[in-house]
Amino acid sequence: MRRTYWGYIFILPWVLLYAAFGLYPFVLSFYLTFFDYSFVAPQNRAFVGFGNWAQGLLDPLFWRSLFNIIYNQTIFIFLKNGLGLLTAALVFRVRHGGGFFRTVFFMPVLTSTIVLTTIFGYLASPTGPIQSLLVNLGLLSEPVFWTFSTWLPMPVLAIMNSWKWFGISFVILLAGLYSIDPQTYEAAAIDGASGWQQFRFISLPQLGSQIFFLLVIDVINGLQMFTEVFAMFGVSGGANHQALTPVLYIYDNAFSRANIGYASTLGLLLALVIALLTVLQFRFGKEE
Amino acid sequence: MGTIARLSSARHQFTWGMVLAYLTLLVGALIVLYPFVYMIMNSVKPGREILHSPTSLPSEITFSGYVGVFQRLNIGLLFRNSLILAISITILNTGLSALAAYALAKIPFPGRDRIFGFMLVTIMIPGILFLIPTYVMMFNLGWVGQFRSLIIPSAVSVFNIFLLRQFMRGIPDELVEAARLDGGHEALIFARIILPMARPALATVAILNFMGSWNDFFGPLLYLNTPDKWTLQIGLLQFTSAVPGENAQEIWAATTMITLPLVIVYFFMQDQFTKAFANVSFK
Repeated sequence: MRRTYWGYIFILPWVLLYAAFGLYPFVLSFYLTFFDYSFVAPQNRAFVGFGNWAQGLLDPLFWRSLFNIIYNQTIFIFLKNGLGLLTAALVFRVRHGGGFFRTVFFMPVLTSTIVLTTIFGYLASPTGPIQSLLVNLGLLSEPVFWTFSTWLPMPVLAIMNSWKWFGISFVILLAGLYSIDPQTYEAAAIDGASGWQQFRFISLPQLGSQIFFLLVIDVINGLQMFTEVFAMFGVSGGANHQALTPVLYIYDNAFSRANIGYASTLGLLLALVIALLTVLQFRFGKEE
Repeated sequence: MGTIARLSSARHQFTWGMVLAYLTLLVGALIVLYPFVYMIMNSVKPGREILHSPTSLPSEITFSGYVGVFQRLNIGLLFRNSLILAISITILNTGLSALAAYALAKIPFPGRDRIFGFMLVTIMIPGILFLIPTYVMMFNLGWVGQFRSLIIPSAVSVFNIFLLRQFMRGIPDELVEAARLDGGHEALIFARIILPMARPALATVAILNFMGSWNDFFGPLLYLNTPDKWTLQIGLLQFTSAVPGENAQEIWAATTMITLPLVIVYFFMQDQFTKAFANVSFK
């Protein structure tokens, strides 16, 4: 009897905090969507019904921001997990230096996003070392002012973030490779399977649950990108909103335009998009 | 590992494929390391050289950037604020998450599995949903501008409960049962048996907490809006966006100083950093 009682007491902190900072805001977020509300003048709160929802669904900037982030994440998720898979497969294969590569490939995960955008802002600038190298190699005819371009910011940010995050995929996938029964490879090698065939027909299928986990988490986290674009492009995501992301737009509405009800509605719309993608992934992923 | 000799010789024998594998990994390692080298190198370079020859080695080593961050960026205060947040969150979250994890792993009580199932569902809810309403709540509570607005909501978290529960399930039940038969109080069993045995997992969770708080930008941006409460991340962004080209030495010194503490801890406790990610899946 007394033991049971302690079980409840030990999870009580989580229950209380989740009620206060999870359930209550969850309910409040729906409530706020029906009002025109600002911190500046809370007494002028006006009921607008589904007005915020209609405005959100018709807001070209919100759709632009959704397009931008999906454009960015499509490249990022492929690149980051592709690099993680490539490096994991290679480190699993080589005899020497595994410890060294493991240490190095995880290091970018330690950098903060602000440090990342600071370093990368210099490295990728028109006079920076990356563009000089590309010009010297003949891959670029002249330096590019990529932050002002319509189409370049999202792919460049995807490359920058892949540098920072591929180490997570690498660690997860490498652990997955080591958990595969070595006898499977042994049998395949005796049957004359090449290294590539072993990877394609043994490693890759067995990594299914790790890859699935990475894709689900990447979609949930990635669609909520904020700090990178806030630091590099400012609150409107660049002069032509070329780097506007949904969370940046929500932040702008809430804190620059003091439009809390509308920002809350956009938050719910984005959460719905993410939830929809997650449900689709689970439905699609279970078949695999 | 543990492959038979014949296989391991087949896996490791000299082939052009193997040379290509090493080359790819080495080029990858260089690309990963270069930004770190660039940052540290420029932090000890004279100011004019940073602007005119950012990629070359410094002609002389100077620490004036490091001196400058104390004078012009007030980095001491920023370090203090970042440490207050990171240490409070690390201690509270690691302790309270471990407590909940112990209950979920070792104390059978009615509804336990249902509560755990609910917790796992909450991980999947995107954080953006809570952003605006939480801010409204904090604003009404008068917590905006105070450290507690970031510390209290982070005092316990499901992902860390999950990691610790997985580890604690591996601790033999007999140990806990024996202590119970001896009349040991649940709180004492937690403190004397569970915590010492779960030390590796606790280290992992503590590191995740510290790193998350240290590197957080969005939270302090929203809630710590007066300069006396700024953290390192906020201070750095304010500093870098001031005047382009100005403060170049200080910027590189500051980024190095912000990053180095984590890198040093990482070199000593690498396994604890990476273990958190080693065995994840939804199964």
